Amino acid sequence: MTERATEHVTCLGCGCACDDIGVVVKHGRITQANNACALGAAWFGDGMVPAEIRVDGQAATLEKAIHKAATLLVRAKRPLVYIAGDVSCEAQREAVAIGDRLHAAVDSLAATAAAAVLAAQRRGRATATLGEIRRQADLVVFWAVDPSERYPRFTARYTGERRASRAVIGVDVGPSRGPRDSDLRVTIAPDDEVDALAIMRAIVAGRDLDAAERFESAVDLARRMMRARYAAIVADGEPSSAAADPDRAEALVALAQALNGPTRCALATLRAGGNRSGADAVLTWQTGFPFAVDFAGGTPAYRPARGARVLLAGGEIDAALVVGSPATLPEDVAEGLGGKSVAVVGPRASAATFGPGVAIDTGVAGIHECGTAFRMDDVPLPLRASLPGPPAALNVVRTIRERLGARTHE
Amino acid sequence: MSSPARLRIAGGTVYDPTNGVDGVVRDVCIEDGRIVAELPRDAQRLDAGGMVVMPGGVDIHSHIAGPSVNHARRLSPEEHAADAMPAPRLEDATLARSGTGGTVPTTFATGYRYAGLGYTTAMEAAVAPLGARHAHAELDDTPILDAGFFVLLGNDDYLLRQIAAGETARARDYAAWLLGVTRGYAIKIVNPGGVALWKSGGSDGTRNVTGLDDIVGSTSVTPRKILETLGAAANALALPHPVHVHSNNLGQPGNYATTLASMKALGGQRAHFTHLQFHSYGGERGKPWQSAARDVMEYVNAHPETSVDVGQVMFGPATTVTADSPVEHLLATSTGGGRKWVNVDIELESGCGIVPYVYKEKAAVAALQWAVGLELFLLAKDPWRVVLSTDHPNGGTFLSYPELIRLLMDRSYRDERLKAVNQKLLGGSALLDGLSREYTLQEIAIVTRAGPARLLGLTNKGHLGPGADADVTLYTSDADRAKMFATPRYVLKGGTVVVEEGQLRRAPAGQRLSVRPEYDTAVTKDLRRFFEQNATVSFANYGAEAVP
Ligand code: SF4
Ligand SMILES: [Zn+2]
Repeated sequence: MTERATEHVTCLGCGCACDDIGVVVKHGRITQANNACALGAAWFGDGMVPAEIRVDGQAATLEKAIHKAATLLVRAKRPLVYIAGDVSCEAQREAVAIGDRLHAAVDSLAATAAAAVLAAQRRGRATATLGEIRRQADLVVFWAVDPSERYPRFTARYTGERRASRAVIGVDVGPSRGPRDSDLRVTIAPDDEVDALAIMRAIVAGRDLDAAERFESAVDLARRMMRARYAAIVADGEPSSAAADPDRAEALVALAQALNGPTRCALATLRAGGNRSGADAVLTWQTGFPFAVDFAGGTPAYRPARGARVLLAGGEIDAALVVGSPATLPEDVAEGLGGKSVAVVGPRASAATFGPGVAIDTGVAGIHECGTAFRMDDVPLPLRASLPGPPAALNVVRTIRERLGARTHE
Repeated sequence: MSSPARLRIAGGTVYDPTNGVDGVVRDVCIEDGRIVAELPRDAQRLDAGGMVVMPGGVDIHSHIAGPSVNHARRLSPEEHAADAMPAPRLEDATLARSGTGGTVPTTFATGYRYAGLGYTTAMEAAVAPLGARHAHAELDDTPILDAGFFVLLGNDDYLLRQIAAGETARARDYAAWLLGVTRGYAIKIVNPGGVALWKSGGSDGTRNVTGLDDIVGSTSVTPRKILETLGAAANALALPHPVHVHSNNLGQPGNYATTLASMKALGGQRAHFTHLQFHSYGGERGKPWQSAARDVMEYVNAHPETSVDVGQVMFGPATTVTADSPVEHLLATSTGGGRKWVNVDIELESGCGIVPYVYKEKAAVAALQWAVGLELFLLAKDPWRVVLSTDHPNGGTFLSYPELIRLLMDRSYRDERLKAVNQKLLGGSALLDGLSREYTLQEIAIVTRAGPARLLGLTNKGHLGPGADADVTLYTSDADRAKMFATPRYVLKGGTVVVEEGQLRRAPAGQRLSVRPEYDTAVTKDLRRFFEQNATVSFANYGAEAVP
């Protein structure tokens, strides 16, 4: 048998987590990823990943590498566990358990969308899973984002059909522009964005106000949204050219919530791939907090302003375990890991640029490993393995956790 | 002590209502995780002299795992920060985990704390099918408890289509299929039709139902039709637990009429009506509320096929979290705004609404709710059909159960508390007429374990007869019943001693409780087509089946 097809495969190339991919494997390589976009096709690649195990740059046995990783972690004074991309929730759960056991700081890729998460913690959310937006929305407002670049199939899968009964409005804020083919465009100056959202919310709440002329289009947009039967707002949760502004994130939530007075409205926040939304979910159910959790005091503490990036930059961390693909790490986190005592367990660990002491290549969740991942809207999906690969991340991380032994009570 | 394969719990005062044992001093014998009739004399003994022995607690309705619960957790970091839980000192090989509490504790904290109260089984009461895989993952991280969940069904696109088309048999097959693929335990109906209308958009007045005969999209779909279809399906499929119903108009003044109408719509067949307290109000909108507990309980008392849990409100912080999302919008906006509020419209079936909330003794409505719950308990003639619950964390957390037990068992304490609450809306309350009833220990054993186990069809739970799971709780008798029930001396789960001298010592994984009813597989062909046309999730990926 030289050809094998796996259907209903979930892609983690971006947060869309399209689960309709048909992966064809010939002679041990992926030759097709049907339905995948270019980004997705690149994510699957040919399914070939390195299967190296290195200790201090030298090839080593798995046993030795696991032992070394456990030793390095146990000896650490101020360890960090970082959950990077392309691992399953099952592996993430073990990673958080290690953080708990070691009294470590734990952070993840979910921290990239911190502004949106924190806004939701201050106000709540008015949202929907993406299927419900596709089904219900008669007006979709893309707020300063064109999903086609970073979330290529978003519109086709979640907002794109039934154009006749659905209007699409693109809001351009400086260089962050809505989709090119929007039915209508609204332009807002970057400095006016938060004010515009506040004015729109006031209009929705029925408050009379004299908005300056330059807000006229925002006022019109608010009125238009109120006339919709079900309005959706789509905004990017990931960092873009503009700095993540907490006030902006909160103003978007507040507007979406307020629109549920006169009509219905859901705010969809775009998030990137690699199962980062899974890390958010797992950390929340195990610790009560979605990212930037610090077990240093023996219990989970929330330190949203002192996540991995800040701890690394401040020189606080002396050792780290990275679970996931090092290629997905934010640049400043990867830089901060340089010179530290680091073990990496994940896809292409051996290619890490910051010279980890231990690198254990594993399969990619969703290509070589089964398990669970979360879509950007927190919908859980199964991951399917299309071909065999290096050791499973789940097994390696679990073995390290077991090797750490029971908790020591001081 | 270790956790021996054979153990004689010797000389305790046993309350085992299922087997007619009411406060009798006798031994309880355990072998390989089960209760047995006898053991050799040399088997290890646990001296339970002077202790009260009951089966492990069974929670029939609690929100402990899944997408909605996790949204609620994410919403309240300050609550978690204020209630950090260090890892317990366990003696078994499991890694002890830290966590955080508050009204929506983390998964490990949930398992540990339930066990610390002597509860060993719990049902997560509302999981959208789309989130089933997530709910199972959380339950995998919830130690000790044997647990399952109820699958939301009652606002489901496919189901409502079948009802509209008069396809009753296919609706039943669908329910059976869904229970199987989600690995769920029972069918949960929340505000039938109302959530579907809320999700379909529009403005106030059109986006909820107000009674059983309101139209939901198609003229042949009404809340009544949904109740009838699913009620009949659950009984035809011989599910261990019948439909678990959260009626329309939750929390509205005057809603007792809808509650009674819903009970009558399912009259003559088994059905469970949940958090009845939230559905037992008289009065009308814009006018003062009052208690209608008497009317509702009169019906329940007279209908042996009907069961309920109370959903008691306890004063203090709570988090209201429900699939009944229009209700949460009302709560978020009617209290002057400014509250945190989460709404999630969920594809195919259900919604999610969350508002953190504090029930204050001095608030008129909270006091009424508190009183209505107690009235329901005290007016109930058959405790086997009236289960103790707070709809955790909606009416209060499960940690308030001991306090609730004290209110039921200790009249003078109850009367004292009654004087302290806002009296404004208590005019029609039976509590003011001086309900003198005090629950006995046997009745507490019924409403917290034997009754819910029987209603759930868990034949190995809630009792201490031979063959039962060795889930056993030992309390030190104390006149202060709150103290007694808050701090069991010993708790055994499947024969493992998890609590010893009041300390959590072991945390084995719990079992998953689920059903997989038979159905005519023809439905899957139609379903596959429906998913291809309507869903953003592949048919093969819906639910929570293990993937190869
Ligand atoms: S849109 Fe995203 S998830 Fe879908 S195929 Fe492309 S990269 Fe993969
Ligand atoms: Zn409930």
